[in-house]
Amino acid sequence: MLGFIAKHKKFFSLLLLFALLFWLLTVQVKSGRFLFMERPVLAVSGLIERIIVAPFHFVEYVINGYLFLVHTEKENGRLKEEVDRLKIENAVSNELIIENQRLRELLGFRTLHPPASVMAQVIGKDSSLSSRTLTINKGSTDGIEKDMAVITPSGVIGRIQTAIPGTAKVILLSDPGSTIAVRVQRNREEGLLEGKLDHCALKYVSYYADIQEGDLLVTSGLDGIYPKGIPVATVVKVTKHEATAFQHVVAHPVVRFSRVEEALVLLK
Amino acid sequence: MKSGVYLIVFLLIIPVQASLMDHLSVGGIKPDLAMSIIYAVGLLASPAEAAVAGMGLGLVQDIGSAGLLGFTGFTLGLVGLLAGLLGRQVLNIASPSNFIFLFSFSLAQGVLTALLVQLFYGSMPFFSTFFSRMVPQALYAGILGVILLRLINRRNVLGLLRRRSRNKEF
Repeated sequence: MLGFIAKHKKFFSLLLLFALLFWLLTVQVKSGRFLFMERPVLAVSGLIERIIVAPFHFVEYVINGYLFLVHTEKENGRLKEEVDRLKIENAVSNELIIENQRLRELLGFRTLHPPASVMAQVIGKDSSLSSRTLTINKGSTDGIEKDMAVITPSGVIGRIQTAIPGTAKVILLSDPGSTIAVRVQRNREEGLLEGKLDHCALKYVSYYADIQEGDLLVTSGLDGIYPKGIPVATVVKVTKHEATAFQHVVAHPVVRFSRVEEALVLLK
Repeated sequence: MKSGVYLIVFLLIIPVQASLMDHLSVGGIKPDLAMSIIYAVGLLASPAEAAVAGMGLGLVQDIGSAGLLGFTGFTLGLVGLLAGLLGRQVLNIASPSNFIFLFSFSLAQGVLTALLVQLFYGSMPFFSTFFSRMVPQALYAGILGVILLRLINRRNVLGLLRRRSRNKEF
């Protein structure tokens, strides 16, 4: 037996390595993802990514800042109109905020403060067949820590997985390891939104809950990571099976991750 | 293959895939550089070396991603092993049939990854992912891989990279 193994030692060594990798996977399912060498790898790859994207950003800056100025005047007029409209909306919102704060104080509720944030540039996007992540050019030196929410003006992107000086890795909400506590904006039904790579699935929604296609899902704030009320995904398909107590709800993130260039990290 | 070349490839694979390949993305589909590299290693080196290189490169990618450690290592290791076996028996670096094999290997890697995702994360949409992501990515991997192999062949990198003859005992 030993002679046979010794004769085919390369074959058995390879078999052992494949078995070890499979064992590693099964162990992580029970105990969670191993964080082996994550920080050094992120440090090296983040540095090289910055060097790689620098010329691309420079070219984009030159093209957008100097060459494509044809529609600037038209764009300027449109933006001025939008600023005027937003000023009015802002004045109304401020009144509502003050009224809301006064009522909260009257009712003895805790006063809410908008979280501080850091703007970061996306320097890398990983969309392999089994995970979805982004790399940003801000890190622990900018106050960014693990599990901070990352958003854009359109909605939630994901949360910080690892932060080192100058770089951080963001796990997108469509990653299979991502879960967000959400509620349906229309009727406040709650559920957990899980990443399914190309879309998300809303879990633990009662069979009798009123969920419709087109419903907007917003953060509920119950997971302690995302502030409540931020848009997350839109319901695209609802299926009810009588055999189960829950509905099968498919949702698409409101943010198109392939188009994200900047992101806002909400500091705790 | 020289260990220095491996070191450079291992250092560059995550940043190049995450940032440079992003600029080559078509409709959100990016070519899988690691797959093409491991296929080329399979043609140039022994099956065992290609398998170990695939596992190593996959593990580096796993560390840099959010997925479970070993996911890409396992699938890329298998790709390396198959490419190595195929390279010994049938293929050479200049053959145009490399496109078909690269396409098939990339598709097989996608299917295997989807099955592992299904096994370890629960229900995943297999058919929609197959047509929307795996097939276009396999096509892209095939095109990129053939270009890469032609570059290797034209610039005579073969002589630099080859450490042992292909017909060495497996």
